[in-house]
Amino acid sequence: MKKFTGIFILFFLILLYPQKALANSDYVLPYPSLMPGNRLYLVQEIKENWMKYWYFGNFGQFTYNLNRADKFLVEAKTLFEYKQYLLADRALKKSDYFFGQIFIYLERAEAENKDISENKKILSQASLKHLEILENLKNELPENFIWQPEKLSPTDIDIHQDINNSIKIRHEGI
Amino acid sequence: MKRLIFFLYILFLLILTFFSYAFVDPNLLYYKNIYSGFAFQNKEITAFLYFLFIVLFFVFYQTFMWLFKKDKLDIREIKKLIILTILGLFFSYSAMLSYDIFNYLTTAKVAFSYHENPYIIMPIEFVGEPFLNFTRAANKLALYGPVWILITGAPFLLGFGKFFFTLINFKFIIVIFYVLTSWIIYKFKNNPYTVLFFALNPLVIIETLIGGHNDIVMMFFALSSFFFIKQKKYILAICFFIVSILIKYATLFLLPIFIYILWRTKINKAINWDKIFLYSFFSMLIIFFLSPIREEMYPWYAIWFLVFSSLITNKKIILLFSISISFGLLLRYIPYMYLGTYFGIVPILKILLTILPLIVGGIIYFMQTNKFKKT
Repeated sequence: MKKFTGIFILFFLILLYPQKALANSDYVLPYPSLMPGNRLYLVQEIKENWMKYWYFGNFGQFTYNLNRADKFLVEAKTLFEYKQYLLADRALKKSDYFFGQIFIYLERAEAENKDISENKKILSQASLKHLEILENLKNELPENFIWQPEKLSPTDIDIHQDINNSIKIRHEGI
Repeated sequence: MKRLIFFLYILFLLILTFFSYAFVDPNLLYYKNIYSGFAFQNKEITAFLYFLFIVLFFVFYQTFMWLFKKDKLDIREIKKLIILTILGLFFSYSAMLSYDIFNYLTTAKVAFSYHENPYIIMPIEFVGEPFLNFTRAANKLALYGPVWILITGAPFLLGFGKFFFTLINFKFIIVIFYVLTSWIIYKFKNNPYTVLFFALNPLVIIETLIGGHNDIVMMFFALSSFFFIKQKKYILAICFFIVSILIKYATLFLLPIFIYILWRTKINKAINWDKIFLYSFFSMLIIFFLSPIREEMYPWYAIWFLVFSSLITNKKIILLFSISISFGLLLRYIPYMYLGTYFGIVPILKILLTILPLIVGGIIYFMQTNKFKKT
């Protein structure tokens, strides 16, 4: 019993001291996640698709769609760097889709009399970051590319046109 | 004599309710007409008065226990005391010692007024929201379990957007669970002393009936789940236990004990409930001691183990420990009250004030034990 009491007193002294926590955050794009071809990519996609129900509410949807747009932009950038143009182009189009959704939910939030000024600031910062990535990609990538998979018909990818379209969407967010 | 004590007790509670309004937050615009700033401008007096209130509260608590031991208090009168306590403190200012009730309110507003997920969206994201002026955890996502958020829907929506009514509704919910917990404690042992020990403990009263902390709700569901196992209502027991975890997660520490008693009951083996309560007490005491890892050892966390210590009436050391730590934990508020800061010497003073009553309690225990041995 004495040992037990001793242990408790020791616990007490060590853990009684209040902890402090500080936080700081800037808008940054996420790390590249799993890439197409990975066995768990589909699982991740299913999970993330289901997560849209967890992010209910217009602010929630704003966050969800922005996160998804970020994620697919990073995915597209990585795939372009690895010259996986077809997959990269698909990821870029997905990023565009989610980025476009953001405006819908912001409008809905505004219609609910929610103050969206902070969200607009976040969107503006995100748009600038996206534009920075997209402009760099445009400078580094070929204008067109014909993707020729084995035993399948080729796909003509108009890379610059797709990037221009992405840039146009991002400009709306500034 | 007893009547006089009862009268003094209700008078004391009413004065305490009045005193609680000395702590009204200057940013609480809904209460601007009753804001006095007393607690912030007269720190020394406030700290002294608070100390006096705590001491008196424990004097009453000990008096009631003494009356019970002298067979001068029965269950009917204990019930009367509980009702008096509820009535005396029902309209007290909830954020006297902690702002948690405002966090509950604001989280409920995020979920049920803004229709946003409080686990995703922080209150601070609603620019211009008037609750942000007085909510201290506005920059945090929901801290509590989903069941608690669902429970808060009822008091929030029934407040019809009126701050005062919403606050009263929250208090009412907490009062219901305070009564239910006291009732389930009584049902377990059929011993009025257990109810007296728990329901009239000043820490339980202050943190539940004034502070409106949801720990009592979590513990009600946990204790009820044990009770349903005893009644062989397994589905109900499992449901209540899950609900308890999904209120504030702390009762997850009771899971091994819960599984053990469920298994024992299932195979028709006898259960030594005194041992179960003792293990539960220690489980919750461990998580209580571990709480500073997350943030701080808040006084209301003591409710986690006080529920069980009230059911262990044969271990004097646990009863004495529970009373001493309750007193010590309530003293933890004094350094901030006196100095108006959480930093500097305050953390050390908090530790000292918590430990000191435990040391005194320990000395009393060993003195009594030695005296008993000698005789």
